[in-house]
Amino acid sequence: MSATEDTTTIPRVPGAPTDAPTDAETDAETTAVMAPVPAAAPEARWRPGRAGWLARGAVWLAVAWLVLALPANQLSPITIGPADVDIASRAVIFAIGGLSLHVLLGWCGQISLGHQAFVGLGAFTSAYLVTDLGMSFWFAIAVAAGFGAVQATLLGMVSLRLTGLYFALVTLAYGAFAENTLFGITSLTGGEGGKPAARPPGFESPENYYYLCLAFLALVIWLDWRLTRTKGGRAMAALRENPRVASAYGINVRAYTLMAFAVSGIFAGIAGSLTAHHDEIIVKSSFDFRLALTFVLMTVVGGLRSRVGVVIGSAFFAILEEGAFVAMVEGLIGGLGFTPTFFESVIGLPAEFVGLVVGPILLLLTLTLYPGGIGQQIAPITRWLGGRRFDRHAGAVREVEVDDVRA
Amino acid sequence: MSQTLNELGVAAVTGTLQGAVYALVALGIVLVYRASGVFNFAQAEFGTTGLFAAYTAKELWGWGYPSAFAFGIAAAVAMGLLTERLVIHPLRNAPRVTLLVATAGVALTAIGLQFWQFNETLVMTMPKIDDSFFLVPPFDAPVTVQQLITFGVLIAASVALGLFFRSPSGLAIVAAQQEPTAAELVGISVRRVSMMTWAMAAVLGGLAGILAGPNTTFSAAFLSFGGGAALLPGFMAAVLAGMRSMPGAVAGGITVGVVEQLGTLTIVSENVPGARAAVLFVFLLAVLLVAPRGIYLGKAAVA
Repeated sequence: MSATEDTTTIPRVPGAPTDAPTDAETDAETTAVMAPVPAAAPEARWRPGRAGWLARGAVWLAVAWLVLALPANQLSPITIGPADVDIASRAVIFAIGGLSLHVLLGWCGQISLGHQAFVGLGAFTSAYLVTDLGMSFWFAIAVAAGFGAVQATLLGMVSLRLTGLYFALVTLAYGAFAENTLFGITSLTGGEGGKPAARPPGFESPENYYYLCLAFLALVIWLDWRLTRTKGGRAMAALRENPRVASAYGINVRAYTLMAFAVSGIFAGIAGSLTAHHDEIIVKSSFDFRLALTFVLMTVVGGLRSRVGVVIGSAFFAILEEGAFVAMVEGLIGGLGFTPTFFESVIGLPAEFVGLVVGPILLLLTLTLYPGGIGQQIAPITRWLGGRRFDRHAGAVREVEVDDVRA
Repeated sequence: MSQTLNELGVAAVTGTLQGAVYALVALGIVLVYRASGVFNFAQAEFGTTGLFAAYTAKELWGWGYPSAFAFGIAAAVAMGLLTERLVIHPLRNAPRVTLLVATAGVALTAIGLQFWQFNETLVMTMPKIDDSFFLVPPFDAPVTVQQLITFGVLIAASVALGLFFRSPSGLAIVAAQQEPTAAELVGISVRRVSMMTWAMAAVLGGLAGILAGPNTTFSAAFLSFGGGAALLPGFMAAVLAGMRSMPGAVAGGITVGVVEQLGTLTIVSENVPGARAAVLFVFLLAVLLVAPRGIYLGKAAVA
């Protein structure tokens, strides 16, 4: 009972027995029963000891190494090839895309099924500006982000005349329209051959480009964090929980929802521009409906209202998509002496379909069993890393479902 | 101009017949929306599942056409019931956006399984019920017997639904949708009603899939966003019907079918790439801007 000292400082209820504490432990127990203050109060003041801090620091260092050093072959015992570094960059870009959809799905309670169009238009805009007009990458990514905001806001303005569910429908139609019509404009997209998009000078190598993506991810996470901490973020939380009550409190529901759409569009534009220069030649077939669904999968499986969960979920799905996850698992199985082509030969599932089959099943399991997704699963660890006590049940009590925007 | 006029006539005929498929999908969407208040993105996938089951029975196991057709419908119903039991029922108190994501997840799961199981035969074909076709004067619009059968099935299904919702079981469904608690109190099993609704929606989806499949070649996700994409048109038809009216869904389906065919007019398709998707998108925006609550509302309450 290391928390005994803290528990005794709980403010007593007037009239509750305040005997002089002769036996600290029994007193702590009676206080816990009597006092109406929730048990969270002492925990907030709990701080880990020196060993605790050391352990947390070690894990933080390991995480930092995993994110900052390993994918770029720094301070690393193993060397990974340039293709794998590119997969790591892709995971970071997917994380930006996931956070983009998460602004709508997690903070706002709206769903977009046309996110491939937002990302794709950002990609082609950026490629067009850099390749055809000779603009700099930095200008292009800003324009792509702006385009994203404009599209999302315009679509939102049309669909918000009805319930939020119609936004799903409008974005679905917009996705099909963008895929067939907008990306069919050959001068913009370069037709079947694709559009070249050079990497910005100084970031040509896979490792440097990875750091560039990581910097943008940090920017997006910071913006996302600021968004939820400002008046706008609180307004979004209110209107997600109940738009009628929110509007009765004087919150301009329409304006704040549109703001969320715009922010989501900006993030999607950034993700698109980074995708374009990551692939270096972009073709329109990389922005089909499957990408939009992958975004939904990774955001929900990652965990709504958990930024860390969304980032991890997105990276997981990026690795799954590229087939690298299957390669890793099979390498592991092969190392243990089993057949290396596990998915293909044992389950009869070709490696290229693993993501297609596993992803949706994960989504359904997440929705029905763990509505908090990965964010809920790792909540004990993230709380522990934040300097709090390890609690196996952390995250389970949190309300983590998207709320409806009713008509 | 006479060429455009001629094309317009052909588009009207083809669109009406193509719209029958959309109307079948839209009927299922409206049925589920009224029962569960959810946008069912798995509706078209019921059709693809039914089609794949019918294809397996007909082409791989060598069954006759009627039994293969029945097997396909049975597979669709099984999928509908599984969806209701395993996904919709556990999430009945969840917000509606969560349910929407869940139905999309059901569709994706089905698509993933189709890709996996039918990987070797990427493109499949199934014979039509009747292979003949004829040209309809005065524009010589080509009409296949398969399309006429589809249209007939649509009419039969609408009439059957209309009669059903006047019968005691149909009224029980309406009651359970409007006041679940009160319906339970007078002895209606809301659980059974929900399962019945999803089964009926699955039958409608299965019909759409098995009837539309033979028109072209098909592969995984055929009816959702593959060759015979009917999900988005079906939803637009349902929007035209205000998500509630059954006759509205039929009228909406045919309207969407005709509007979509406008994209095949030479003057449109020569100037706009991917004209069909563009026309549909513009039409949806126009509907949402002008009459967001729907056009074909009919009598608001019962079918």
